[in-house]
Amino acid sequence: MNQSDCAASRDGAEAPQTFQDIVHRLLEFWMDSGCVAQQPYDTEVGAGTMHPETFLRVLGPEPYSVVYVQPSRRPADGRYGQNPNRLYRHHQLQVILKPSPEDIQDLYLKSLASIGVELESHDIRFEEDNWESPTLGAWGVGWQVLLDGLEITQFTYFQQAGGIELMPVSVELTYGLERIAAFISGEDSVYRLRWNREKTYGQIRWLEEAEFSRYSFEVADTDLLFNLFRLYEEECRRCHEARCVLPAYDYCLKCSHTFNLLDSRGAISVTERVALIARVRALAVATARLYLEDHGSQLSA
Amino acid sequence: MGHSFLLELGLEEMPADVISPALAELGRNLKESLAREGVSPSSVRSYGTPRRLALLADGLPGRQQGREELVLGPPVRVALGPDGKPGRAAFGFARSQGLNVELLERIETPKGEYLGYRKKIPGRSVPEILQEEIPRLVAGLSWPRGMYWRESRFRFIRPLRWCVSLWDSQVVSFRFEGIDSGRVTRGHRFLGKEEIRLAHAAEYPDRMRRNYVLVGTDERRRKIAGELSRNVPHGLTPVEDEHLLETVVQLNEYPTVLCGGFDEGFLDIPRQVLVTVMRHHQKYFSVIDAEGRLRPHFLTVVNTDGDSDGRILQGHERVLRARLEDAAFFWRTDLKTSMEERCEKLAGIVFHQLLGTYLDKVKRVRALCARLRPDPHLERAALFSKADLTSEMVRELPELQGVMGGLYARREGYPATVWQAVLEHYKPVALGDAPPSTLAGALLALADKLDTVTACLAGGIVPTGSSDPFALRRQALGIVKILLEFRLDYPLEDLVRMARQSLSEDAAAPDSQDRILAFLERRVRHVFLNRGVSDDVIRAVQAVDSRQSLHLRFRKAVALEEMRNEADFEVLATACKRIKNILSGQAIELDRVRTSDLKEPAERKLNRAVQETRPQVAARLEKGEFLEALKRMARLRGPVDRFFDDVLVMSHEENLRRNRLRILHEISQLFLSYADISMVART
Repeated sequence: MNQSDCAASRDGAEAPQTFQDIVHRLLEFWMDSGCVAQQPYDTEVGAGTMHPETFLRVLGPEPYSVVYVQPSRRPADGRYGQNPNRLYRHHQLQVILKPSPEDIQDLYLKSLASIGVELESHDIRFEEDNWESPTLGAWGVGWQVLLDGLEITQFTYFQQAGGIELMPVSVELTYGLERIAAFISGEDSVYRLRWNREKTYGQIRWLEEAEFSRYSFEVADTDLLFNLFRLYEEECRRCHEARCVLPAYDYCLKCSHTFNLLDSRGAISVTERVALIARVRALAVATARLYLEDHGSQLSA
Repeated sequence: MGHSFLLELGLEEMPADVISPALAELGRNLKESLAREGVSPSSVRSYGTPRRLALLADGLPGRQQGREELVLGPPVRVALGPDGKPGRAAFGFARSQGLNVELLERIETPKGEYLGYRKKIPGRSVPEILQEEIPRLVAGLSWPRGMYWRESRFRFIRPLRWCVSLWDSQVVSFRFEGIDSGRVTRGHRFLGKEEIRLAHAAEYPDRMRRNYVLVGTDERRRKIAGELSRNVPHGLTPVEDEHLLETVVQLNEYPTVLCGGFDEGFLDIPRQVLVTVMRHHQKYFSVIDAEGRLRPHFLTVVNTDGDSDGRILQGHERVLRARLEDAAFFWRTDLKTSMEERCEKLAGIVFHQLLGTYLDKVKRVRALCARLRPDPHLERAALFSKADLTSEMVRELPELQGVMGGLYARREGYPATVWQAVLEHYKPVALGDAPPSTLAGALLALADKLDTVTACLAGGIVPTGSSDPFALRRQALGIVKILLEFRLDYPLEDLVRMARQSLSEDAAAPDSQDRILAFLERRVRHVFLNRGVSDDVIRAVQAVDSRQSLHLRFRKAVALEEMRNEADFEVLATACKRIKNILSGQAIELDRVRTSDLKEPAERKLNRAVQETRPQVAARLEKGEFLEALKRMARLRGPVDRFFDDVLVMSHEENLRRNRLRILHEISQLFLSYADISMVART
């Protein structure tokens, strides 16, 4: 099977064979549904939600639909490339639909069919899972989508971001790409997935997993990181004062990633943890507010 | 026969726990609002799945009963002329009502005779009433948590997507939150038809079943329960789990039970871990053999009609394998660190800013344990009680707090007293949960909860309304249950004092003793009430001796509750109240009754009876025979009655008066040795 065959049949398509085919087809599905195809954000983030294309675009009244892949770094989940399921960096395919369409669940299920999941011969369910991000001051209501017991997607109706109530409500779909690929291929280990026809996931990514795990658990200099956290925070605030909103948000993201590194290094006690999260949230909330103040009107213009 | 009405609300998947309460509320509200209109169906059945809430009402009348309303016009003396013929006022009234004046009649009222008429108000059609009421009922549903999805800011549990509203075969149409009611419903997401046009309300359950939706909760429960016992491998049984069963009943429209397996090797992981992984994370039932040992199988409930090629099961098995591999990894990793080492790490985990680290906490708990019962094993258990907070397993599965600590201590070879106490010390966890099973476990649980409650309340962390982040109410309840269950003698006030003494000075506000005690007493009251003791009895036994142990106080209360309705006792309680009133404001010299000053036969007899009864009651109380003690007291009824009938307490002769007051005082003291009996008197 080649890629053009895949693209030809959408509903009940034959399963793609490789990781990159799956990504490609999902992107194509959502592009065909009218989404702007964006690129991953170029600073470290823990989830696709942190990309400004989600966090900032869901604010305000302007309709917007977007799809992108976001490599997501979770330092504490690193396993030196030894665990078949857990990764320092995994890939999320993120879809934002604003406002949320009425047939969104059907649309989502069609996207699964487009990557060859035969809906009627599996156990697919939407189980309550309400999402909250304390660092972003964001929360939403929705489900984890389970495919034969495996969580493959987080499906959320956004209710708040940056402490601001959202209206219209956006729907966020976050596909766990490695899990979906493992499911489709029947592979037990993510490292044995085929990335393309020549290379495995392991060949392409294993070294990165091993080294970044070692860095986040053993090497990272916690004094430096605490310093960086403080510096990034200051710079973010300085940007706020200069009403330079997007750069401010970058520094908010850097704080968040630095916090994650410190956390994985075990350098944060429980109380400090609460306090640091509150500091990042304060930055996110201020950024969201400024964004709406300064750009809210231009958006609908 | 009557008519049928079907309402079906179609939603995106609701959480399992909200479905039954929502159905109950919807059904109740429909019946109530119909009743307000004088309409009552012969039955209202409710149906619900994750995607729908439905009511099917039968035996409905087509119309409300018609009724008459009296409309009064002008008084007869004004409206009719002397000749009895209608005058201007009568014509005016008739015109205003659109009536011919002949139709008016004379109506007698308390204020005199009026001209008026009986207006016939026809009943409204029931579909018309429903059309008005249903949108209000739906909008009025209350949800524990809700969401917005439309700009109308309508708040509901999940987005509403369709609505069926059928009166027999007619649509009762209304528009609600962007949805037009109709007759079209949807089948199972993947197995049923996407559009089902219902011809008649009554065909709902059957049509849905043919489209792989079992709308009856009971039907789904029966299917699951039946398949659970049929599909388990021969000789094995699924572990019973009511709560899990209810959850899976509400998670599926067409439930089917599949039985899968996992590698025997995973059975090396402690059972509690395996069960938690299967139950909490995957909603699987565990499987045991005849001896109650866990076997490497699981039962999963899937939302489809089968798994012909085994692919679904393969998927579930793969997910479980990954989870169990994680758990096995955590178990092995955790075993590399000793409990002693883990305790040291607790210095880095803050319990609360005001209350120090978990190391501080376990040291306080250990000190408390040492004062409760000197026992090195108990003290060690106290020190280990929070060690598992540093383990990988608890970080991953927080519901295993305590359990993991116990299991790790057992692996390290600590005696059973130690590891069992650690394992059980979070109990009782939930409202219906049992207290720990061992004494050491109970004492550790008591000390741990006492420390948390005391430290938090003393530090000003007080639960308000629904906010109780440290679950202080539940923990206080646990304290009460443990004290009762294990018949522990420590007076509450001593327990609180001990716990406060182990706090640092700035953590314990000086006035906190009473506040904490009052907090605990409220839980005591709650437990007593739940066990059938009435409020006045609770207050009566609490009033006399704050140092008595809770379990004795409880038994006293139960005996008093039993005795209070006996005729003799009731009279006596009233007498007690009378005595209390007489004595109040009187200065009683704490002198013995002077027999020489006893004049009347009735007072002599009463005095003798009191002197005889006192040691008998004391002996019964000593032995804990509370009902017997009360029965002895009840025998005083006759002499007390006689006394009040024959004797004037407030005699003019001072020596007589004093003596009589002394007798009454002695009676009152006798009763107070049990409880403030006057408080249970009928008012």
